[in-house]
This record gives sequence, C-alpha cells and structure tokens, in this order.
Amino acid sequence: MAKAYDHLFKLLLIGDSGVGKTCLIIRFAEDSFNNTYISTIGIDFKIRTVDVEGKKIKLQVWDTAGQERFKTITTAYYRGAMGIILVYDITDEKSFENIQNWMKSIKENASAGVERLLLGNKCDMEAKRKVQKEQAVKLAREHGIRFFETSAKSSTNVDEAFSSLARDILLKSGGRRSGNSHKPPGTDLKACDKKNTSKCSLG
Amino acid sequence: MADNLPSEFDVIVIGTGLPESIIAAACSRSGLRVLHVDSRNYYGGNWASFSFSGILSWLKEYQENSDIVNESPTWQEQILENEEAIALSRKDKTIQHVEVFCYASQDLHEDVEEAGALQKNHASVISGNPTEAAHSAYQPSEDESLCTVSCEMPTEQTPSSDQETALEINDVEVTGEKEKRYDDKTHAKSASEEETSENVPIAEDTVLQPKKNRITYSQIIKEGRRFNIDLVSKLLYSRGLLIDLLIKSNVSRYAEFKNITRILAFREGRVEQVPCSRADVFNSKQLTMVEKRMLMKFLTFCMEYEKHPDEYKAYEEITFSEYLKTQKLTPNLQYFVLHSIAMTSETASNTVDGLKATKNFLHCLGRYGNTPFLFPLYGQGELPQCFCRMCAVFGGIYCLRHSVQCLVVDKESRKCKAIIDQFGQRIISKHFLVEDSYFSENTCSHVQYRQISRSVLITDRSVLKTDSDQQISILTVPGEEPGTFAVRVIELCPSTMTCMKGTYLVHLTCTSSKTAREDLEPVVQKLFTPYTETEIENEEVEKPRLLWALYFNMRDSSDISRNSYNDLPSNVYVCSGPDCGLGNDNAVKQAERLFQLICPNEDFCPPPPNPEDIIIDGDSLQSETSEFSVIPEANSETPKESTSLGNPEETSQ
Repeated sequence: MAKAYDHLFKLLLIGDSGVGKTCLIIRFAEDSFNNTYISTIGIDFKIRTVDVEGKKIKLQVWDTAGQERFKTITTAYYRGAMGIILVYDITDEKSFENIQNWMKSIKENASAGVERLLLGNKCDMEAKRKVQKEQAVKLAREHGIRFFETSAKSSTNVDEAFSSLARDILLKSGGRRSGNSHKPPGTDLKACDKKNTSKCSLG
Repeated sequence: MADNLPSEFDVIVIGTGLPESIIAAACSRSGLRVLHVDSRNYYGGNWASFSFSGILSWLKEYQENSDIVNESPTWQEQILENEEAIALSRKDKTIQHVEVFCYASQDLHEDVEEAGALQKNHASVISGNPTEAAHSAYQPSEDESLCTVSCEMPTEQTPSSDQETALEINDVEVTGEKEKRYDDKTHAKSASEEETSENVPIAEDTVLQPKKNRITYSQIIKEGRRFNIDLVSKLLYSRGLLIDLLIKSNVSRYAEFKNITRILAFREGRVEQVPCSRADVFNSKQLTMVEKRMLMKFLTFCMEYEKHPDEYKAYEEITFSEYLKTQKLTPNLQYFVLHSIAMTSETASNTVDGLKATKNFLHCLGRYGNTPFLFPLYGQGELPQCFCRMCAVFGGIYCLRHSVQCLVVDKESRKCKAIIDQFGQRIISKHFLVEDSYFSENTCSHVQYRQISRSVLITDRSVLKTDSDQQISILTVPGEEPGTFAVRVIELCPSTMTCMKGTYLVHLTCTSSKTAREDLEPVVQKLFTPYTETEIENEEVEKPRLLWALYFNMRDSSDISRNSYNDLPSNVYVCSGPDCGLGNDNAVKQAERLFQLICPNEDFCPPPPNPEDIIIDGDSLQSETSEFSVIPEANSETPKESTSLGNPEETSQ
C-alpha cells in the first residue's frame, strides 16, 4: 500500500495543568473547541496530516493524559518524540515560571536533538494577561526556540505553530528518513542551532 | 503538592510495579476511578530501570533508607472508635547485600557529570553530602583485593593507580581535555548549544578510539543517560501472555521492541551459539549432519508431543534430563535442549514439564524473529509505565513520592474503607491493591520469602563475537553443584537503548542460595575478566572485560498465599514483586486474577473504543520505528490464551 504521507513526526505537548494543551490538540486536529474544562480522559494522541515544503507530514500529537498534574509524566512519554511543544497560559504567571522546569524535564528525558517550541496560550483573554509577550520572547531566545502566542478558543496561530514545528523538524532531518532524530551527526545539529538562535517568530 | 487529591475513588493501587500497573490500567479502562500511588520518586518499584546516575542514586537512597524518619502528621488520632488501622511500612526491605565494583579506570578529571542530567528527582540526594554517605555500607572492605579501584559514587573521583594511569595516559588526556573544553563552552552558552556539546563527544569518541575501545569511568558517567539499567532482567516470550495483553489493549503503541538475536550456551569453558530454529540447525557449523537430523527429528516431535503419548508416557516419572538420554541425541544435543531450549536443569523438571517448556519455546519461534524472545527498547522499566499511561488516559490519577501511612478498617464489617496518606488526608475507596513491600512486618510476620540474586555488569565487548556487534543474547549457565541454581545471563547491546556505545550491559539472575555475589561471582569470573588485569597482561584477551559490576539480592514475593499475610480485610489485595522467571506471565496472570475479583465479568483490558484514535494504517507505526525494531501488530486476532492458561490460585475471597 502506498503511503499517504512522506514523513511521520511524533510531537508531544507539555506544560502545567489547565494551560490548554488538550484544547490546542483538538483545535489542531479537529478544528473544534470545547469551552468547558475537558479533563484529559481518553485522549491519547491525535493525528493530522499537513503540507510542509511540498511534503505530506503526518503529525502524531500526544497528550500528557493528565499525568502532568502531579508531575508524574512517564519517561516513556518522551521516547521517540521529534518535537516538543511547551505550553503556558498567558493569564497564569506560575505556568510561565514552570516552563523552566519543563525544559529541564525535556533535557533529562527526551533525546538530545529534539525540536522545541514555546506557546503562550489563551491570547484571546487579553484583559486577564499576566505574562507579557516580551518575557516569553526573551525566554524563547535564551533557549533558541520559536515562540507563538496562540488561542485554541479563537483559533489563533494554532495551525501556524504546529506547521512551523513540523517545518523545523523536516529541515533538521534534512529530508532523511524520519525516526533518526536521536542520532543526528554533530555537524547537522550545530548548523541547526545557529539558525535557531536568530528565529523567534512573534505571534 | 500543588493540587489536592479527590477524597474518593473506586480503587486505590499502592505500588507501580508491573502487576499493579496492569490492574490499574484494566480498572481505569473499565470505568473505575483509580488512584495510583508510589512512595518512590520513580515508576516501577523493583521493576524500574535507571540511567547510570539514577542507579547510583538508587543505591544511595536504598542505603539511606534505613535512617529515614518521616515527619508526617500522626494518623493515630484520625482513627475513630469503630475503626482499626493497618500501618504500612515506611522502609523498603526488599533489597539486600548490595555491592558495587568499578574496574574502569578513573581519570583525574574532576567533576564529571552526566551530560544533560538535571536530576529533578534525585537532586537533593545527590547534592546532599555525597562523600560522607559514600563511605559506608555497600563497600565491603575485604573486597578491595578483587578490584583495583572501588568506587561508590560518581562524585568521588578516586585517582587510579599509577601503573594504570601510565598505560592509559594518552586516552585520558585526550578525553579529559576534550571534556573540559566542552564544559567551558556549556557554561558560557545557551541551552540549545549545550545539547550540541552533549552530542559531539559521542561522535568523536568513535573516531578517536576506533580499536582500543577503552571506556573510562568518567565516560560512563558522562554518557550515563544512555544507560537504562533494569532492576529485574526479563524477556517477553513472543507468544507469552504479556505480548498478547499489550496487543489486545493497544498498550503496545507506547513501546518498541527488539528481538533477541541469539541463544547461547556455555560448555567446557566456551560460549557457543545454540541452533534452535530450522534455519539455525541447517546452517550450524558445530553440528554434524547426523546431529542435525537427530535434533530436527526431536524438535519436530516436541512441537506436538501431546499427540504421541506412547513416545513419552513410559518416562513420565523421571527427570527431563534422564528422558533426553533415552532419546537419540548426542550429549551435545542433550545439553542444548536441556539448558538452552527447555531452560531447565538436570534435576528441576520431569519429562512432561521439559517437553512442555520445549514446545513453548518452539511455539514462540518465528513470530517476530529467529528466537522466541523480545526485549523492550529502553528496558523492562518501560512496561509498567506504558500501562500507567493507559490508566491515565482513562482518567486514573497518578502520584509518585506519595506514601500511605495506613489502611483504615471498619471494625464491624472487617472491610477496608480508606487510606490515610502522608499529608494526613483520608481517601475513601472500595478496593485496595497493595504491593507486598508496602506491608509492615506485623502484616508479613509469617511470610516466608525467597530471594533473587542479581548482578548487573558493564562490559566492553560481547561474550561471543560475531560480525555484528549489535547482538542481544541469552545464555543459561547450569548450576555447578547440586543445590545451586542455573544462572540466566542476558547481554544487551547499545541498540537496545540500555547502554552507551562501545559497551554491553549484562544481567545475571538466579534463585538465591546465598548472597548475590556469592551466587553469581563464579559465573562472572568464568565469562569475564576484570578490566585492570588485562591491562597488566596486555592485549589478546579473549574474554570481555568488566568495567563496572553491581550485585544485590531482591525479595521474591511471588506465589505467596494470601493467607500468609496477617489480618487482611477481604477488599485488600496483595500484588507481588517481580519473580525470578524469565517471562512475565506471572505478573499478567496475577493482574488478571485480581482484576476479576474487583470487576467480575468485565473484559480485561479491551482495546480502546475510540476508533479515530487508532492508527488503522499499519505502515504509520512502522515508519516511526528504527529498522530492526518490532512492533507487535495492533488489532491482531489473538486468541485469548490468558483465560485458558490462567490458573487462579486459591485466594480467600
């Protein structure tokens, strides 16, 4: 059977409880939004295929299954992830501060070459904003990763964010067979990181 | 704790070992509200896997365990007049006789740290006061003669002997300088570049040390993340209950597996490969034509021995090894069948058991590859976590580092009604599953435990060299004297994601007769040679060299009758720790049996219902995995063997 896609990328979302990770996944995969609090029951991962640089990229987006709540995300969750999306809530300062802790978890558990992306979600709630965009831009720059402000509710920047992460992974893998991201040659990585430091798209 | 726990559940599971995790997943899947807690800061209990720094912390934590006095709110005052409490244990007493030896040379470079390791959980322990604690317990002084350098903690960088350093000097300097350079870089630059520096030494190591393959202790520390060291060493039978459960429940999507590539035997001081599949037998160079025919004939018979009772009925009363002597098999072949295929010993099995084991082995051949076994990438410790994720996906709540002080029992109904946790919170539930190690001595005073002897080695090459350096092997070494047990040796290569490049991770396991080192060291000495001895003899050493070795005894709480525990209410169920066996059938059977007590007539871990979540396209999973890994096919029609195999023991209630 011919494959309906050129690459399959495994992506993960992490971040504090209630920042809207599941909503982002559902918005991205199904283009819908549920206003009531969805506890993450029954959502393992969602799939959507996107076109990037003329390639069909099948994105398998995994949710935390609520295990972030008491900081009990399994090490197995991070295995084989090629992209990790860190999410905070722009109306919740604590969730932004905790991004540093999630960065540590990634460093400790994910493979070294994993692409990361920072999202400040709920940007439709400007009136309740607690985290200024500049703070996040600075943080993203320090880590050399991209940053978007998104809203799963108003569907702002959600597709853009996922697509840009898919593009970064695609470029990094250099069109090689997917799944090799654990062990890219050192040179490859260096080139990529230099490029990374200069890019911080603002939402 | 940022968040308060709900105060009511249907099932509370204490312990995150494999049986507990399977039950938690099954209950959650069936719609029960599950709270799953573990007092440790990692998943899996004695089923866990650790990075190198993780295992060092585990050793240390175990050692400090004895001194811990937990300042928790007292639960006694919460117990009402019509209630009783069953206090749970605060100490883990399942691990004993821990001994660690380091043979790899330690260069003078100080402050080597595991690359990328920001020990979120163990941080406090590590940064605590390493030198002070490192000097005591698990370093027996009389063992100094056995190894030139004994080391307990990575932080204590003992300079190695002059002679050794002299021999090593070139490599050490290169490595040391390189590390230093990168260290400086990391401090100055951003986190994303740190990752680069973390990767570079790996790439360069292979270039700089093409043949010598000298791994230093600081390299092991630095590459510590590459290790996933299992506390229990097991494999999955490719038609075993666990594989069937993983496929049926779709939990298989959370893990990847590799086939064991070869079965080895140790005879007359030599390691050799055992031909077991038809192709192996025909291609074997060590067997004569006559032997090939004999072996094929016998194995073909074993495949359907039940159909030919006349062939073995007369021998039912004798041992399998005696029976093999009556068959047309050379001593060579008898040895292979007895130790490597049936994996039993001269005295342990009768004819029918031996035939059954042989049949099972052959039955599992060929499903995923040339041997009957699979190993999970990143180690056995992934498996409990995969079931925990399944439980969480269906709403199960997880708390690690969360201990339970006591179970609260209603005096009148004699049923357990709640737990009181470390914060003094009372949490109500209908059912309580407790892993054996959580019970206090009062509860277990009549329980007779067996012990498992374990050893973990890091070596520099395979016990049997072949063209491919990515072999995963299992080797059974029979016990030498009567009364000693066969030792199971599993050798893992770096592509299993359990050890760094240029090393092998070797697990030894047997039923204990003495301490782990007493039981296993004779076999270690037969197969391996300490790193430093070869340094003196120089070159041309056949045996793999030991870089690091760990010995410990683990409690085997399997197959213990529930009645042995004192005064357990009927809605408190006991889960055992790991057993000594090679497969995982014991854990699955136990989980299913206990699940049926909690949810009679419910299906055990049926596939998740949401069809859109399931990848129907078989290719999609494959393309994600590396070339040689195996994913059990999802949604395959596997007969539910578990029901027919399930042998529920007599349990009161």
